Amino acid sequence: MEGLPKVSASPDDEVLLELFAQGDQRAAALLTERLGPRAFGVAMRVLGNRAEAEDVTQEAMMRLWGIAPDWRRGEAKISTWLYRVVMNLCIDLKRRQRGGYLDLDAVPDPPDPAQSAPEAMQDGARHDALQAALMQLPERQRQAVILRHLEELANPEIAGIMDISVEAVESLTARGKRALAALLAGRREELGYHDG
Amino acid sequence: MADTEKDIDLLEALFEEARRDQPTLPDDLSARILADAEDVQARQAAALAVPPAQNPAATFAASAIGMWCQFRAAVGGWPAMGGMAAACAVGLWIGLAPPSFLPDPAEFTQLSVDTTALPYDSYDLAVMLGEETE
Repeated sequence: MEGLPKVSASPDDEVLLELFAQGDQRAAALLTERLGPRAFGVAMRVLGNRAEAEDVTQEAMMRLWGIAPDWRRGEAKISTWLYRVVMNLCIDLKRRQRGGYLDLDAVPDPPDPAQSAPEAMQDGARHDALQAALMQLPERQRQAVILRHLEELANPEIAGIMDISVEAVESLTARGKRALAALLAGRREELGYHDG
Repeated sequence: MADTEKDIDLLEALFEEARRDQPTLPDDLSARILADAEDVQARQAAALAVPPAQNPAATFAASAIGMWCQFRAAVGGWPAMGGMAAACAVGLWIGLAPPSFLPDPAEFTQLSVDTTALPYDSYDLAVMLGEETE
């Protein structure tokens, strides 16, 4: 890769994407390292299925590579754009599944009460409990809750990703949170949280 | 503490743990993403490297531009083009609305609608040509 522009210590995503479009493979590696886990994490939460989340992440990153030469600097944050692509791919996948077959792997495993007993398994049980509850939310509520409470994005950014108003985001997250609290009600002790 | 508050607290605690426990990108997925990136870069580089001659649309556009440039240079550049355009405009004006001291150009072409131009009012062209050849 001699002769290619040098990548500075922590260039922003747009600089990296420009370098990628100029043929710099290190830029691809840095962008994958930076954006890949976020795309994969949010796809995992929304879909509740590892294989599907991997496919969605790969496709979303593929679209990022494809758009690199045409990316107009300053118009949008790359991470916001990527979240949006991931969410749309998740919706498309779910629509296809509803229209055709249902992938049994896509159904989240119910939380296993036996896992909550040993302390070593507590984290896994909590994770499973939250994921199982998330999967019971309507799709848009689930997306909004994940983006707000797990990805910690601001409401205007979520509104941009989901193509809805900020008020709609607030409504979706509030209803989602109430529904999750109801779904997890009474499991405090079981999940290892004690009063006091 | 009320049950609802406890439920919300539980949820907040679960959110906090989930935020700390972000999934990492699997190595094989990372490798697939980078392989895609390499393919896309190669395709984009190949598209940029295609010479214009191999692109029919680009070739046509380039040849049209080339011909126009040659014509412009042959007549003497932009000043000459301006003079030509002005002369064409004046010619068209005179043709459509000739000044009174000039004869009607239609008379030169023998196309004016004039009954005397016809040999006989009721004769058609065939009859007229027949008489001339006799």
